[in-house]
Amino acid sequence: MVELGINLPLLIAYLVTFVILMAILYQFAYKPLMGAMDQRTERIQEGLSAAERAREEAASSQAAIEEQLNEARREGQRLLDQAREASQRFRESEMERARQEAEAFAERARADIQRERDAALEDLRASFGDLAITAAERVIRRSLDRQAHEELITQVLEEGESLRRG
Amino acid sequence: MPSGAAAKRVMLLAGLVMVALLIAGFVVGAIGSQMFGTTRFLAQPAIHLPPQPIFPFSAVKTSLGYGSDYEAKKEEAKETADAEHPPAAESGDHGEGGEEEHHFTPLGVSQFAITNTLLSAWVASLVIILFFVLGARKKAMVPGRFQSLVESIFEGVLSFGSSVLGRDMARRTFPVVATIFFFVLFNAWIALFLVPLYQAVGFGSGGLWDFELKAHLIRPAGTDVNMPLALALVSFVFVEYWGIRTLGLGYFKKFFAFGNLLRGRPSGLIDIFVGILELISELVRIVSFTFRLFGNMTAGEILVVMITFLVPFVANIFVFGLELLVGLIQAVIFAGLTLVFLSLAVHHEEH
Repeated sequence: MVELGINLPLLIAYLVTFVILMAILYQFAYKPLMGAMDQRTERIQEGLSAAERAREEAASSQAAIEEQLNEARREGQRLLDQAREASQRFRESEMERARQEAEAFAERARADIQRERDAALEDLRASFGDLAITAAERVIRRSLDRQAHEELITQVLEEGESLRRG
Repeated sequence: MPSGAAAKRVMLLAGLVMVALLIAGFVVGAIGSQMFGTTRFLAQPAIHLPPQPIFPFSAVKTSLGYGSDYEAKKEEAKETADAEHPPAAESGDHGEGGEEEHHFTPLGVSQFAITNTLLSAWVASLVIILFFVLGARKKAMVPGRFQSLVESIFEGVLSFGSSVLGRDMARRTFPVVATIFFFVLFNAWIALFLVPLYQAVGFGSGGLWDFELKAHLIRPAGTDVNMPLALALVSFVFVEYWGIRTLGLGYFKKFFAFGNLLRGRPSGLIDIFVGILELISELVRIVSFTFRLFGNMTAGEILVVMITFLVPFVANIFVFGLELLVGLIQAVIFAGLTLVFLSLAVHHEEH
């Protein structure tokens, strides 16, 4: 033991030296430097994930913008279609209305014409009776026989009839 | 390119000086002095396994054999050496010369003195503290060069631990494992970086010119068996502590495996035997830890001293390179084995 150099106080001295060395290193080197290294790692990790997040955000906002654009385009198309359809409908309804109006107008005009004609015919017939009587008076005054008289009246009536029909 | 040419010239000059020193070293070294009969540059070194005390001086005197009768003894030794000069020179290679000159009394088991190994352990600890505390002082978010160096060393040790234990455990055991690593490493290297101090300064006898070094002021702490033993105890206690902390009292089941026998299975006898083996291997780790480091460091020191003795001046540069590597390897092994034993202690129940 002695030849080898084993010595109890020395052993204890080495143990104490080692423990003190470890304590000092722990307090002034390991702890602060490991803390700083961890902090840096954390910081870098954070930076990386922030960059990743920003990239993702940019990508997603790009997609959102694209989507919005598409939406707007679709909306515009829809509005355009709607307007076109509305104008089409409006035009058709207007045309229909115009046609109906025109028809109504024509109808009324026709009815007016008919009424005018009927009135004219009535007038005519009335005046024709007068005319016939006048003619008859004139004929009578000219002394006519009975037969001629009859024929004349019939003829006049037939003429009047055909007149009414025509 | 004048600077390139100048650099080349300087290199050539340095190489020539190295070769000259090598040849001179060979001539005045132990081998050359035998071959050419030149005077030896260095005295034959004495190898002591126990560390030499350097403080207090009374302990130095006792251990080196100084005393009231020391001078007389020295004179006597000189006379014998003079008288037996030719045979002494002849037997120098066999390590017998100067045996009486190097009588050295090691410290008793419980006798305390500050030894050269303890001093160099303190110097190494101081260097470690300076290095790492300065490196960690600023804690800058964007580290400078020095902080980067220290951080990359930490990161290296931490990733080494992670490869064995996993990140979480490696972090929690980092202070102990890293301190073991740095302590072993710096203690192995401190003597190499303090070569002039290590090789030339210490207690001895004689004047400035015929100085005979008997006790180095600095001697790598790994060559003192107490330092590896202390580290081995730290490692052992640490491993057992983690084993108990993780597995509770169940940790002792692998040493005292009575479970199967108590249930009446005869295979329990084997378990008990395995448990005894586990216990022995657990305790033997302390010894193997101690003597692995002690042996490597001591062998390195002896190699450096012997090469310096055989061929002084520059030949030991290669040994220094080797010793740098050995120091690093021993540090890695000490820390690595601690990690491995930790992982064995912590994960024992799982397989």
